[in-house]
Amino acid sequence: MEQRSPITAQIAVESLVRRYIFSTDHKVIGLQYFFLSLAAVLIGTLLSLLMRIHLVWPNLTIPFIGQIKPETYLQYLTMHGTLMVFFVLSTVPLSGFGNFFLPLQLGASEMAFPRLNMLGFWITVLALLVLLAAFFVPGGASLAGWTQYAPLSAIPAAGPGQGMGTDLWLSSIGLFSIASVLSAINFITTTIKLRTGGMHWMRMPLPCWTWFVAASLSLLAFSILLGAVILLLLDRNAGTSVFVPGGLVVSGQTVERNGGSPLLWQHLFWFFGHPEVYIAILPGMGITSHLLSVFSRKPVFGYRAMVAATIAIGALGFMVWGHHMFVSGMDPYAGFAFSALTTAIAVPSAIKTFNWLGTIWGGRLRFNTPLLFSIGFVSLFITGGLTGPILAQPALNIYVHDTYFVVAHFHLIMAMAGLFAVFAATHFWFPKMFGRMMSERLGKLHFWITFLGAYAIFLPMHLLGIAGHPRRYSELTGVHYVTALLPLQRFITYAAILTISAQLIFIVNFFWSMFKGAAAGANPWQCTTLEWTLASPAARYGFGDHQPVVNCGAYEYSVPGAESDFRMQDSLTTS
Amino acid sequence: MALALLLALLLITLISVYLFFVHPWWFPAVVALHGAVLDRQFSTALWVLGGLFVAGQLLLAFSIFRARSKRPVIYSRGNWRFEISWTVLVACLFFWFNITGERVWSEIKIHPAATDPVQVEVTGAQFQWYFRYPGPDGRWGRTDAVKFAKPNEGNPLGIDPDDPAGKDDIVSASLVLPVNRDVDLTLRAQDVIHSVFIPAMRFKQDAVPGMSIHAYLRPLHTGTFEIACSQLCGLGHYRMRATVKVVSEQEFKEWLKLRQSVTE
Amino acid sequence: MSPVTEHVEREKKPKLGGGGPGKIPFRRGYGGGDEGEPFRRDDFLSSRERLRRFRIGMMAGIISVTMLFAGLSVVYIWRQGTGRWDPHTHVAIADWHPLTLPYRLLFINTFVLVLSSVTLELARRGLLRKAEFVTLGILPPKFHTDLPWLSLTVLLGFGFLGGQLLVWNSLRHQGIYIASYPSSSFFYLLTGLHALHLLGGLLALVYTLLGSWVRMKLESQRIAVDVTGWYWHFMAVLWIYIFALLHFARG
Ligand code: HEA
Ligand code: HEA
Ligand code: CUA
Ligand SMILES: [Cu+2]
Repeated sequence: MEQRSPITAQIAVESLVRRYIFSTDHKVIGLQYFFLSLAAVLIGTLLSLLMRIHLVWPNLTIPFIGQIKPETYLQYLTMHGTLMVFFVLSTVPLSGFGNFFLPLQLGASEMAFPRLNMLGFWITVLALLVLLAAFFVPGGASLAGWTQYAPLSAIPAAGPGQGMGTDLWLSSIGLFSIASVLSAINFITTTIKLRTGGMHWMRMPLPCWTWFVAASLSLLAFSILLGAVILLLLDRNAGTSVFVPGGLVVSGQTVERNGGSPLLWQHLFWFFGHPEVYIAILPGMGITSHLLSVFSRKPVFGYRAMVAATIAIGALGFMVWGHHMFVSGMDPYAGFAFSALTTAIAVPSAIKTFNWLGTIWGGRLRFNTPLLFSIGFVSLFITGGLTGPILAQPALNIYVHDTYFVVAHFHLIMAMAGLFAVFAATHFWFPKMFGRMMSERLGKLHFWITFLGAYAIFLPMHLLGIAGHPRRYSELTGVHYVTALLPLQRFITYAAILTISAQLIFIVNFFWSMFKGAAAGANPWQCTTLEWTLASPAARYGFGDHQPVVNCGAYEYSVPGAESDFRMQDSLTTS
Repeated sequence: MALALLLALLLITLISVYLFFVHPWWFPAVVALHGAVLDRQFSTALWVLGGLFVAGQLLLAFSIFRARSKRPVIYSRGNWRFEISWTVLVACLFFWFNITGERVWSEIKIHPAATDPVQVEVTGAQFQWYFRYPGPDGRWGRTDAVKFAKPNEGNPLGIDPDDPAGKDDIVSASLVLPVNRDVDLTLRAQDVIHSVFIPAMRFKQDAVPGMSIHAYLRPLHTGTFEIACSQLCGLGHYRMRATVKVVSEQEFKEWLKLRQSVTE
Repeated sequence: MSPVTEHVEREKKPKLGGGGPGKIPFRRGYGGGDEGEPFRRDDFLSSRERLRRFRIGMMAGIISVTMLFAGLSVVYIWRQGTGRWDPHTHVAIADWHPLTLPYRLLFINTFVLVLSSVTLELARRGLLRKAEFVTLGILPPKFHTDLPWLSLTVLLGFGFLGGQLLVWNSLRHQGIYIASYPSSSFFYLLTGLHALHLLGGLLALVYTLLGSWVRMKLESQRIAVDVTGWYWHFMAVLWIYIFALLHFARG
């Protein structure tokens, strides 16, 4: 794969800054996104740890932090949610792995617009810094939750952190939206234009499909969020009244606003918010489908159905936002429509689940770490997903809305399933990224603790919700029946402490393997897609001067009568 | 490895089934109309979705387990007949379930049978609930929080002093209701969004500033039950608690009289 | 079965995924669209490919901007419908205060913007023709047919922005600020955001204009003008839409 071409000479002379910092190389940008999210997820996880500790030992003094106050808990909560949803799950699976592997899987050597790509990344970095800065301003970070419901988020007097902290939150999310739109443009163009010869739509590996659909969703959704954020910023700082009604008295002071509608913010936010959660999970679904096929040495079961389901989820995702607002005071008749549409969106997800099972069925599984995490994904997705139709029923939603039942739902299906896909992808693509293998032993250990830990943390939360434990309670002392649930909360905290400390295994494995892992061959997993035709790690100029030509689908495993049990997409052997 | 996964998945399934059907932690006993319907709906949900949960996990576990064997790989790119039938099956199941749920919803929200309901106005303010009864004249006094609200002078809601209708209004810190009467709650908020959550009555409704939202309920048992605020409203969200006291018609009348004398 | 690994001598440092300025020879399926293609001889295929690629990117961009303004329009209509909520009677009172827009100015601005759209189209066509000369192997005519049109467009563009400033001024003289009425908030917001987006296109034009002096590669310049043209026409249409919205839905 080492071939002389003008570029190799040129790369030799380029400066380190251009190579590793302000790089336009899609691989470097992918890695940059990856490490950005790694930082974000570590902070977010640390915050969750502090939250858990505070919930059960409210007046424990923690080194460097001291005693966590109720409002501080809510600030951690807000930051936890924001970091995890935006800077982790909308970033690693899509911008991280997507940037690195979309072009390679399509047989291209760059994204369509490398400079735009770099711009997007640096705006994201700025957004993260602005968000974290909120911890250090007077009043601290916002405490209004990641949903920032107005008027709580619109009135600085409404609480500590609702001043500058909230302005920073809004600016950060505005920047993030811009960055996401930029990289979405890049992804869409790349997928449409840069597919190599013979790479028909129906031959694309499934991750490419999900990256494409997710990018389309973020193109549309983040524009709306940007608009909403601008409006809220104006309400806060320019005296307009879009979200703030008249006649409000907040902590003794009257608010000089008139005629806004708090529900309007919720509509705008969730019109973005629901597509957002699918942006977060779709790439994970694609990666899981891919890995299940690779490691059970079987074609994906129902490739076309998978593609159709992906597109259906994407399209329906824009019509169900109202299911977050059943008890918000929205017209009860709207409840019917949103409930029905939400049920409709559950069907394609069920199709995917079925096809995942179909892919494993009758395969010859290779129990490497990536497969374990993919299986974990399926299990968690089923568990977390099946509470969806319960939440989607306005009547039942009355009771479980804003209780820990919801927290359990979205942690299982989004947080845990999503991260399991990320873990799987990390173990799977590590050789292509760093030229070495991650340790299988540590990987398996990490899987087992995290898998059981995830259930141990989030399964009991359903029961908290059923017992009526509301969300976003910074202490359990306020309401008596909530106080009675302390034992369960304590169990959850123990489980969380264990699981979170187990994440160190992953971190150690990751950095150790980066430098000391066994060097990987070009195609360690015997996988068919194009990125594996390149050396590990993939060279700067990707496919260089010989452009691959694809002449079969992405999942030709164990083809009857073929000599090897997998067939590279660009192989010429016709069988 | 396959065996380990099988066992792990079985373990998880068993524990879940145990927790959900022996339920050491569960709903509080229901004390209001519609509550029973909701509980029934919820247990249907548990049967339908719990069934799918068990089926799904077991299927996963089994297909992993059987993949240990060195049988040749089944080369299959999918099977339309399976997929179509599975899709239709799940769609029917989900939509049937959904429709039963919609029925309950319309029963609760669309046609609440309200026959001369007790009128109570519920107002949320950081971090306190206020319950206002219209008094003998059955009319609310005008309120203007901006002009008149003085929490420490016994007029937290800002009832207009020179509105006759407001003279006899009763403002209470706890909700007192007669048993077996329809109640028409008017929910309002003074500052940010709050939410009235009465688990024992399976009741929840946001109180949104700039709106007055009507919600109906009907207590069926006497007793004292807790109200928890369930919409994030600031640092005191977790302690924004109140109680519902359900009493007999008789005691309710006496209580009203008592409060009457206090207000005059 | 365990993955295929190779034996290596320990001290071998892992290469990160490479890196660098991304100046890569262009190929079908190659990336690097917005960086030119230094090693490429026959510009025809490649430049047409790049043009297509940029147009798709621009379409995507236009879609997202459309989404933004669609969202804001919905909010505008909604806000017009829901009046001020009166704490006394607990009913919403219509509080929409129709603005008296400075129509003369606005019409002049509209005309200027549409005109600039036309001149830019002429510039675009001019460049197209020149690019064809190149592909035929004939040297393009020395004189820059497109330059006057391009610079004229830029002038008109700035003219429009200046005009918008005058519009805002005239409202300020009426004592109408962004916070005065809901209607005024939306007026400033919509026109302001549009002006901001237009400024972006304007900067792109200035860049290409300078480009034609600093001998930016002809076909890069052509592509830049072409996609900016699309954007610019979209901006004109968007403006007309906003104007119509503000006029017909002024309450
Ligand atoms: C990745 C993110 C993600 C995903 C995929 C989903 C998926 C779904 N969500 Fe979730 N949801 C969130 C993230 C997500 N959600 C978040 C973050 C919140 C909270 C936001 C907040 O308030 O902070 C939320 C909240 C939320 C609510 C509002 C709750 C409330 O606040 O009151 C609702 C209500 O309808 C809902 C419904 C659904 C439904 C019906 C699905 C469906 O798509 C689920 C479909 C999946 C299945 C149905 C499982 C399929 C498996 C089978 C069918 C079994 C197969 C069996 C065999 C093969 C035998 N979600
Ligand atoms: C991706 C999303 C995500 C993730 C991963 C998590 C992870 C966790 N969350 Fe989070 N959580 C949210 C999203 C997420 N959460 C959201 C959106 C909310 C709502 C906020 C709001 O109400 O406004 C919330 C709220 C929330 C609450 C509710 C608080 C309340 O309502 O009062 C609680 C309470 O226990 C909680 C706990 C935890 C715990 C213990 C973990 C974990 O710590 C579990 C263990 C952690 C892991 C297994 C992952 C570790 C990963 C790595 C270390 C590296 C991997 C990364 C790369 C390879 C790049 N979270
Ligand atoms: Cu009031 Cu939460
Ligand atoms: Cu949703």
